[in-house]
Amino acid sequence: MKKSRSIRLALLGSATMVLAACGEDDQVPKDAKFFSDVKDCAGVYSESVCLDAKTQSERDYLAQAPRFSRKEECEKEFGAGNCETPQASTVSSGGTGFFMPMMMGYMLGNMMGGNRFNAPVYRGVDNSAVMARNGKFLNVGSFAGAGASSATAFRPATQVTPVSRSGFGSKAASYRSSSGS
Amino acid sequence: MATPRPDWREHVERDLGFVFHTIDGAPYWDETAFYRFTAAEVDEIEAATAEVEQMALALVAQVVKTGEEAYERLRIPRAAWDAIQGSWQAGEKNLYGRFDFCYGGEGPPRLLEYNADTPTALFEAAVVQWDWLEAVSPGHDQFNSIHERLIDAWRKFGLGRERLYFSSVKDHAEDGGTIEYLRDTAVQAGLVTERIDIEDIGWNGRDFVDLGNRRIGALFKLYPWEWLVTEEFGAPLLSGVTKVIEPAWKMVLSNKAALALLWEMAPDHPNLLPASLEPGGIEGKRVRKPIYSREGSNVQVLEAGGGVITETSGAYGAEGFVYQAFTPMPEFDGNYPVIGSWVVASEPAGMGIREDSTAITRDTSRFIPHYFE
Repeated sequence: MKKSRSIRLALLGSATMVLAACGEDDQVPKDAKFFSDVKDCAGVYSESVCLDAKTQSERDYLAQAPRFSRKEECEKEFGAGNCETPQASTVSSGGTGFFMPMMMGYMLGNMMGGNRFNAPVYRGVDNSAVMARNGKFLNVGSFAGAGASSATAFRPATQVTPVSRSGFGSKAASYRSSSGS
Repeated sequence: MATPRPDWREHVERDLGFVFHTIDGAPYWDETAFYRFTAAEVDEIEAATAEVEQMALALVAQVVKTGEEAYERLRIPRAAWDAIQGSWQAGEKNLYGRFDFCYGGEGPPRLLEYNADTPTALFEAAVVQWDWLEAVSPGHDQFNSIHERLIDAWRKFGLGRERLYFSSVKDHAEDGGTIEYLRDTAVQAGLVTERIDIEDIGWNGRDFVDLGNRRIGALFKLYPWEWLVTEEFGAPLLSGVTKVIEPAWKMVLSNKAALALLWEMAPDHPNLLPASLEPGGIEGKRVRKPIYSREGSNVQVLEAGGGVITETSGAYGAEGFVYQAFTPMPEFDGNYPVIGSWVVASEPAGMGIREDSTAITRDTSRFIPHYFE
């Protein structure tokens, strides 16, 4: 026999991980800080701002966090032990038969123009702190250890040197065609 | 002719995640027909694939050994020579490639070209036609163990827990679908994967980085090497700071001048067509192809006297041309099929058939499933 015995897809098709597109730009405000709960946050912002950000981030988490039909697929993206099944009471639609990364807290900061910025933060591979933004995962920092999630255990990512981008892709743009053949 | 499954669109989108079945409003995946082969025919294609792949690898060894003169004939920029030699001598593994054969069941399969660096139509061949056969005629066999072989091949790359970034151009459904499928097979092989658009790759002066400024240590790029090396970040990429798949030595094979060098190395081989870099090097009716081109652009069919019989448009050809003896394409009901025969880790793995209503296969061709008995 020359054909595959069976084919299973981990990412594509009905098992596809759903990334929410939020349609905003990729920017994370420079003053954005990680908070694990309102108590952490209340030393920096007022308690009502902290509570609003937490509530909004939790809502975003349930609506937009990546979902996986199998635990191992989720753990491939986010690391062993970092995925869970949400409780039925917290999910409004789609049932609970899937796995999501764990929300460890939220980023809160100020956008240009004065609006607040907030977003849920997940634990990723190697205790990294991961935030989804515009369909992409951003590494916003790291946690000090496996059990650690408080604001004091959080280390923001340091940008080594200014990063330039768009150094690849110009040829494809000039030909306006597929790169494949 | 065949009756398509009534719900095929919904099925392939929902269950397989196959979204580029229709391109610019025209059908691409086409199950109103299929090709039926005999086992002997499939064996012949498989054997030809193995044979030509071995010749191709021998050519890379010869080019690396010859050096400057060979690279210049292949129009490979000087900046890339060291990376080609280094990756070949280090034994860097390759994942895949697709040979396009002209084959109608009479006479041996003849190599039209080798898509060694950025072959596509992979997901269709590996998964969609397999799924089609399981639905319509599961008792039949198909030359297609691409999926299993890809998963197996990933395990042998020695990447460990290194994150492997899959990259292609932004906003291109077909390339994006191919990348996502390859990533799927890598995940199943236990690799840690990420996805990044090629335009989003960052360079911080020391490393390539992702949008979170994490180092990119390994990159699978569905983007031609010959473009990468001429772009802004080409120099650091060639320095070897990131492991790249396909490896740099695939540049030797991903340009059509290699067809002429293959013919010089193995003249009169039954699976090759006469090919030359000289306009007068091929007698009789011939096809002129740009050394670097994609999707059938800028191809001319020339008569013995040199007059143009047909040609396709495009923006390629600046690096020169290769001339290949014309071979009539087999015709079935006014359609011209090309056999896309896959190698995974340099082993024959399966095939996909693309069909066009003209004798030059372009990106508007349709993918037709097959089986054999």
